[in-house]
Amino acid sequence: MSLSNIGIPREGRFFLFDPEFHSTKQLYLKDTPGYKILLDWFASKNQHPFPFQETAWQHFLNGKSGLLNAPTGCGKTFALFLPILIDWINQHPDWKDRKKNGLQMLWITPLRALARDIQKAMQEVCSEIGLPWEIGLRSGDTSSAERQRQKKQMPEILITTPESLHILLAQKGHPAVLKSLQAVVVDEWHDLLGSKRGVLVELALSRLKNIANRAATKQELGSTLRVWGISATIGNLEEAQQVLLGNDHEKGVFVKTDMQKRTIVESILPDEIERFPWAGHLGIKLLDKVFPIIEKSRTTLIFTNTRSQSEIWYHTLLDAHPDLAGLLALHHSSIDRELRDWVENALSEGLLKAVVTTASLDLGVDFRPVDTVIQIGSPKGVARFLQRAGRSGHAPHDVSKIYFLPTHSLELAEAAALKQAIENQTVEQRQPYVMCFDVLVQYLCTLAVGEGFRPDEILEEVLSTHCFQYMTVDEWEWVLAFISTGGSLNAYEEFQKVEKGADGTWRIASKRTAMRHRLHIGTIVSDAVMKVKYLKGGFIGTVEERFISKMKAGDVFSLAGRTLEFVQIKEMTVYVRRSKVKNAKVPSWLGGRIPLSSNLGETLRNVIQQAAQGDSDSIEIQALAPLFNLQSERSAIPSEGETLMEYIHTKDGHHLFVYPFEGRLVHEVMGALLAYRLSLKMPITFSIAMNDYGFELLSDQPIPLEEANLAALFTTENLFDDIQRSINSVEMARRKFRDIAVIAGLVFQGYPGKYKQDKHLQSSSSLIFDVFAEYDPDNLLLRQAYQEVFDFQLEEVRLRAALERISTGKILFHHPGKFTPFAFPIKVDSMRENLSSEKLAERVKRMQVQAG
Amino acid sequence: MMQKILQYSLLGQSFFLSAGRAVYWEGQRALVLSDLHIGKGGHFRKAGIPIPEQVQEEDLSRLGELVGEFDPKKIIVVGDMFHSAANSDLDKFKRWREAHSQQEVVLVKGNHDILKKEKYGEMGVQLEQDGYGLDNVVFYHQPPETAEGERFTISGHLHPGILVEGNGRQRLRLPCFWLPKDCLVLPAFSAFTGLFLVKPQAGEKIIAIADGELIPF
Repeated sequence: MSLSNIGIPREGRFFLFDPEFHSTKQLYLKDTPGYKILLDWFASKNQHPFPFQETAWQHFLNGKSGLLNAPTGCGKTFALFLPILIDWINQHPDWKDRKKNGLQMLWITPLRALARDIQKAMQEVCSEIGLPWEIGLRSGDTSSAERQRQKKQMPEILITTPESLHILLAQKGHPAVLKSLQAVVVDEWHDLLGSKRGVLVELALSRLKNIANRAATKQELGSTLRVWGISATIGNLEEAQQVLLGNDHEKGVFVKTDMQKRTIVESILPDEIERFPWAGHLGIKLLDKVFPIIEKSRTTLIFTNTRSQSEIWYHTLLDAHPDLAGLLALHHSSIDRELRDWVENALSEGLLKAVVTTASLDLGVDFRPVDTVIQIGSPKGVARFLQRAGRSGHAPHDVSKIYFLPTHSLELAEAAALKQAIENQTVEQRQPYVMCFDVLVQYLCTLAVGEGFRPDEILEEVLSTHCFQYMTVDEWEWVLAFISTGGSLNAYEEFQKVEKGADGTWRIASKRTAMRHRLHIGTIVSDAVMKVKYLKGGFIGTVEERFISKMKAGDVFSLAGRTLEFVQIKEMTVYVRRSKVKNAKVPSWLGGRIPLSSNLGETLRNVIQQAAQGDSDSIEIQALAPLFNLQSERSAIPSEGETLMEYIHTKDGHHLFVYPFEGRLVHEVMGALLAYRLSLKMPITFSIAMNDYGFELLSDQPIPLEEANLAALFTTENLFDDIQRSINSVEMARRKFRDIAVIAGLVFQGYPGKYKQDKHLQSSSSLIFDVFAEYDPDNLLLRQAYQEVFDFQLEEVRLRAALERISTGKILFHHPGKFTPFAFPIKVDSMRENLSSEKLAERVKRMQVQAG
Repeated sequence: MMQKILQYSLLGQSFFLSAGRAVYWEGQRALVLSDLHIGKGGHFRKAGIPIPEQVQEEDLSRLGELVGEFDPKKIIVVGDMFHSAANSDLDKFKRWREAHSQQEVVLVKGNHDILKKEKYGEMGVQLEQDGYGLDNVVFYHQPPETAEGERFTISGHLHPGILVEGNGRQRLRLPCFWLPKDCLVLPAFSAFTGLFLVKPQAGEKIIAIADGELIPF
């Protein structure tokens, strides 16, 4: 079980006792002039620092690095921004007059939108205490004139994103502007940690630390770089700190706020569960119950799981309640930045009654007027649910209130599981990425387009990160060969990328290659999108190319809550005009399917078992009673130690349903594994569908099952080999390779309106995957794709445990005459994998006969 | 590997479609193919994307096998024989050409064929700027939008592919020959190419390639 406590981490586990905290060798915070000045500043606002802030300040003055665990809205920015001012004032009696001091602190944030608010707050403090510091911004939106100015004179504090920091590292002379740096703060580290953007941060930190160490002439305390992270509560805070600090983590400290937030969860129940749909993802049926909540609250945030769902909810709410016009807004990541800024401002100023949104408002500044949150559909994880709940009731001791609105019946069971998980204080872990050779390839090219790099020096830095701490010499040499000759075995004669200079420095000489690289720095891989613009001017947002390619002039679609008529595509821009037509198409942006976390999966299984035994006091489960009765009638509800399988024959084919309740990711692998094992018995083709409760194998032929020996299908014998073969035969690794190919610079994503692609360099990651698989099977990037399937998808430990549980337990095998409430949501799912043991040509011929 | 062939009668003459992604016109002893994209791997390698050299070697060795099998007098490439500007992959083609010097090679210029004019001559390739005709067949790189009266067109450019769907929600994408009215669109010859899915209208034929076999639809 991988559950961990939300509460204060236990002493001695990773709460490092710091003997120097108040030792005589150190400055005692409260005796310093800097502290007194800041204390006066607090007093002028009728406030006083929180104890956790003072703790962080003292650690900072002591030269420590560490992690601060604090939710938004409790003063975390001041906990780590103010001590650099205190330190500066302490060390420079003439602080009021010293200008142009060079870069002192880097503040890394995952969201550009956050940067401006933080800048404003910081600049305000400086001017109010009379410190002539400049607080600068550097993100994708920063003008090149501003960048040039920064190159000549860096502000004292620079707020930036991981990607923009890497673009800075791609500049010639970056060590000179970075050598005065005293501290780096990584905001929202929990968010960056579980993605490859976290790896970008790790690599950049390894570079910054080395530059700072080299610049330090005296080995006094405080002369080496201080690194701090700020993280919301996750299940693996200790690991989060290790990843951030790399091989320095043993000296790191941990600071936690003393504020506990209370969250109240309420499910919105349908009046008649019998008439509530068994499958679906919109939840519109419960629309009538949403309006009264909006009405009685000051401001409500309505979270949906996808952008298209938010568009639909926005329109439907407005249609049903026209009086909301002007008081209801829409916010998601495909809406133009300026429109989103407007919504955010209106939210802060309390001008809006409600905003329909997606993950785009998960993070970010506080909107004080928000007192209520509605989550539509399962949030799929406890951490995400709590994060969203926390967007309401922002003041330190306020209560967060969140409503859960189910989109189909069984989601009510998830609501019960969420409540239980919150009560038991179990929050998911964020798994850090390791051995990301795609990011390493990109990083080395980043260094090579700017200053150039010396492999020995950079190797040492890279090995100091958590991500690459176990990298072997062979792997490092493979990466160097990959970027310089095309590969250790191949050494292609005309290959051109990074060149080894006579001075031992590796550089990218070609201007074209360098430009292409600069445009592709980063690890966020998106689908090709196009900007949407009114004929008369004014951007609205972006849609995916694949959506717009299906449209004809005159077709009508919805974006940013507006109904738009498609006119034409010109210069990679979609031109539209307003339309009054009803029933507009809603673009479906890809991505957006989130798997149930393992924590929630386990809690959900318990909830279902309690339901089976009829001893649940949860109101959600009681409301679901009619549905559970029908499930028992047609088939069964598994209780503890049991796993349910259902076999149904329809005109679609032969369906086998299995319900392990382990979450979508595990079901995807388990489905492929079972399909593979069954396909050994005869040539057969399966299509595999899954959701968080179970999976379905569908075949046009009868599925060769031995009813007496079903447990054998779940055996852990030969598990590793069988999984490897089943992964090979489906598309999981190929899909992981898509991002890897983009990050490593093998496939270029277009940028709307920004950059014309080199037409002759277009290819799909899938094509390159095939070519590598056939001719270069030891390619590390290809291996990484399989490794990512193993690390992130399979969660081998969890899969093995699940298989053991199923194979040693009791299997209930039923032949229901109709689809059951459990089966239905899986059956209607359209995202499917295929696995086949038939000869391709045979299969095509048979499909042809079926098609008639 | 011996590729399956399918005899096809057009204009009263015998054509052999090969699963090796080419068609042989018996009457003219002409092997016709499209979108060979020689130099594509090299172009990628020059831009720092290490595509293995074997990709082109395999393409050329398949072409050699087809030449051995049909013994054509003439090889007609209906465009995109070369991928981009010159690179060392062209030398490899030159060596292939020296080993297959008996055949005349005609190239109908495609949008990718951007080499300097004299290059084609050096490699023993006869360049046709605006299509090429033999008997009552015309060869164009891009399929014409309307059928040209009496004459039959053979072209490429599209990299046609077909989506096959069957029971149990099976889906497959396969390269194919596509036969709209009075036209034959060839599959891309090179294996290092993507697919453009075509949706055949009523009366149009598709012959898909799967596992070295040909499957008519």
